Amino acid sequence: MPDPDFKELAHELLVSGFGPQRVQRLVSELEDHYDDLVQAALASGTDIAAAKASAQSSLGELRQVAVAMQEQPDLKCWAWHWPRVASILYPLAFIAVLPAVPLIVGARHAHEIMRWAGCMLLGATVTALMFLTLQLAITLG
Amino acid sequence: MAQSNPPFMSGVPELLLLRLLDQQEMYGYELVRSVRTITDEAISLGEGVIYPALHTLERSGALKSRRKTVGGRTRVYYSLTGKGRTRLEKLANDWRRIQGGVETALETAVNA
Repeated sequence: MPDPDFKELAHELLVSGFGPQRVQRLVSELEDHYDDLVQAALASGTDIAAAKASAQSSLGELRQVAVAMQEQPDLKCWAWHWPRVASILYPLAFIAVLPAVPLIVGARHAHEIMRWAGCMLLGATVTALMFLTLQLAITLG
Repeated sequence: MAQSNPPFMSGVPELLLLRLLDQQEMYGYELVRSVRTITDEAISLGEGVIYPALHTLERSGALKSRRKTVGGRTRVYYSLTGKGRTRLEKLANDWRRIQGGVETALETAVNA
């Protein structure tokens, strides 16, 4: 028996206007709950298929969770409550953050960038030495 | 078998969750199990829909949550706030009043 489709629930909630952090937390709690139910069923001696079926039955339809969330509009993110403000602030925030993106990415990949810079420096040094040797050979020869 | 959230149960899950969390912090799975235990399995909360209820109570300020790692697993533990305690007292009083009213009505109906 397949596990419940938590990804579909997450997608539905995100599209409905719930914030990513809230959706991630809810899905994580549901996944943990489902795992606990499966473990409890397995501990009672049932096989994995029966344990999963029992866990799904106890957890209930994820559709019901989505409906219960929809009944709580207060849990939706601020952009859902004030879409006009969001439509102004999001582009402004994007423009403000854009110049910092290369720096953030650079800081995250500092090790690779340093290694790449080292290789480039080594390559340039070797090339310069070869040219110097060639120049000296021409001059002295 | 206990029916999950029949229509007359409105407000009862909230009362039970607040009552349990008044004693100690718990995570969702623990809460569902504890509700079954303390109600002698008379009340069975919809296990999945307990989380929207917990998130709503947290949003209203009645609960607070924190992540805690136990046995290698990170769980969200909920506990009651001062506002939650006030809410619990109000709900408990409301429930006792309704319970008393229903009992009186039943006895009157029996004696009539």
